[in-house]
Amino acid sequence: MIMHQLALVKREIWEHRSIYVTPAAIAVVVSLGVLAMLMFASGFAAELDVAIFGAQNLAGDPERKAVLTGFFLGTSWVFIIALAILTVFYCLDSLYAERKDKSILFWRSLPVTDAETVVSKLITAIFVIPLVTVIGIVATHLINLIIVSIWVSIKGGDAGVLIWSSVSLLDNWLAAFIVVIASGIWMSPFIGWFLLVSAYTKRSPLLMAFMPLVLIGLLEGIILRSHMFAENVLGRGDGLPLFRTVDIEKFFDEEQWRIAEDATSLLVHLDVVQFLTSPAMWAGVLVCGLLSTAAIYVRRYRDES
Amino acid sequence: MTSLVTATGVTKNFGSFTAVDNVSFEIESGRILGLIGPNGAGKTTLLKALLGLTDCEGQLSVMGLDPFKQRKKLMQNICFIADVAVLPRWIKVSQLLDYVEAVHPNFSREKANELLQQTKIMAHSKVKELSKGMVTQLHLSIIMSIDAKLLILDEPTLGLDIIFRKEFYANLLNDYFDEERTILVTTHQVEEVENLLTDIMFINDGRILLDSPMEALSDTYTEIAVSGDDADRARGLGPIAEGQMFGKSVMLFEGISREHLEEFGDLRTPSVADLFVAKVKGARK
Repeated sequence: MIMHQLALVKREIWEHRSIYVTPAAIAVVVSLGVLAMLMFASGFAAELDVAIFGAQNLAGDPERKAVLTGFFLGTSWVFIIALAILTVFYCLDSLYAERKDKSILFWRSLPVTDAETVVSKLITAIFVIPLVTVIGIVATHLINLIIVSIWVSIKGGDAGVLIWSSVSLLDNWLAAFIVVIASGIWMSPFIGWFLLVSAYTKRSPLLMAFMPLVLIGLLEGIILRSHMFAENVLGRGDGLPLFRTVDIEKFFDEEQWRIAEDATSLLVHLDVVQFLTSPAMWAGVLVCGLLSTAAIYVRRYRDES
Repeated sequence: MTSLVTATGVTKNFGSFTAVDNVSFEIESGRILGLIGPNGAGKTTLLKALLGLTDCEGQLSVMGLDPFKQRKKLMQNICFIADVAVLPRWIKVSQLLDYVEAVHPNFSREKANELLQQTKIMAHSKVKELSKGMVTQLHLSIIMSIDAKLLILDEPTLGLDIIFRKEFYANLLNDYFDEERTILVTTHQVEEVENLLTDIMFINDGRILLDSPMEALSDTYTEIAVSGDDADRARGLGPIAEGQMFGKSVMLFEGISREHLEEFGDLRTPSVADLFVAKVKGARK
């Protein structure tokens, strides 16, 4: 059973190379961007004495940490947005392409159930793609810290102090990991929906997936004059119950224009217990389960001739 | 002899259209059965029912299993090649072998490598880089490396040139078939498989027109060529089909003993193709 799943998930990665090509491409683009930024900053050597991230003549330690954390966070968000787009396209393709090229007849000639197949696609969408994304985030951070360190050292700064001891790597990475995995679980009803559309539709899965969502939202607004669907379904992405309410004043001392020391920890903003006990999260998991089950039945009962 | 497949009153409707109409038959193990029928006769639907890819009415048992409900278990002992080239185009040959090895308990990687070494197929090639004939070779190599009791081939050589077709069936007979195994094959090219088959079944409009071992055909069906007055007398015996060739009437008889026909000249056993045409035309009258 587990060996089957491993083989099936591997198969998904072989077929959908974008799962690892996309993060790799982002890593390259971000790294080139950082290099360009460093070169640009060297034109202002008087104002920023070593480099943007290591400027020691500017502000204090917390500020430098905040700049680095901001850079970390920004990079992570690029990956998370790419992750969302990647997951949508992956899901919509996963049960549609095999019917289009008729390879479904080959896959189904092997002793693998439709449930096992759909579950492998679910695992890929909810766990594998996010995990690859986290690996991409960590790798990009490391590559760029190395680039920045070399730069700072060339400029005569102490990279060990200015860069490496200024960031809480594990704190940032753990936070990225939690956010990415939690987002996958939180958005899982959409993943279930995309899988069902992918298994069901005869053409243009992208259109077939989004049109009903938009139409229901519109019709509800016009007929019932309410926005239940728009707020709870379409707006689900905004409601991830993982973040603490941020008290800006706690982190930012207005009088002295100083940033509080613990502002640079990302983990303090996350509340995993709140996420795990959220009824909306569990309701989403249930909906995902129902829609995925429907996808299994469609794959099993549909006649491909 | 044990029955590998037992079908009793199998029916499959698509809306008001009946693709398979109350069909009953048995397939014994160690046989090579040819399922012959025109397009739309219900061949593929019947195969799909046997493979558990579609549900149907009636009783259907394949190796003691209900194909639709116990598909996974069934697929450990059945292999099939469908009528369209179905290997995914994006996959590499080596990946394909890795995958089948991981999910199929009866697959032998050594055997597959051995078979592939006899071809020009490279392990690092992608399926989309192979010619149509090579894709079929690859598929057959995988199938032949699986120790399965029943092999189902639906138009396996469609679109291949004559050399590949001949090789395909030669490989199948020499490297694969033995008493333990059973093959069910459908094809339009009857002439090519005629000599391989041990049993034959004709299907048309969802019904079985003929279900017979090959060696029994000569007892039941006789073809004669007659001319002039003999033709009228022979016609009196009620041929199921008649045609003209070189100025003679060629008649096909069913169930008329050879003794009755010997007086008209040389007796022949009709070719499967001629018999098929006669049966289908007869059924349409």
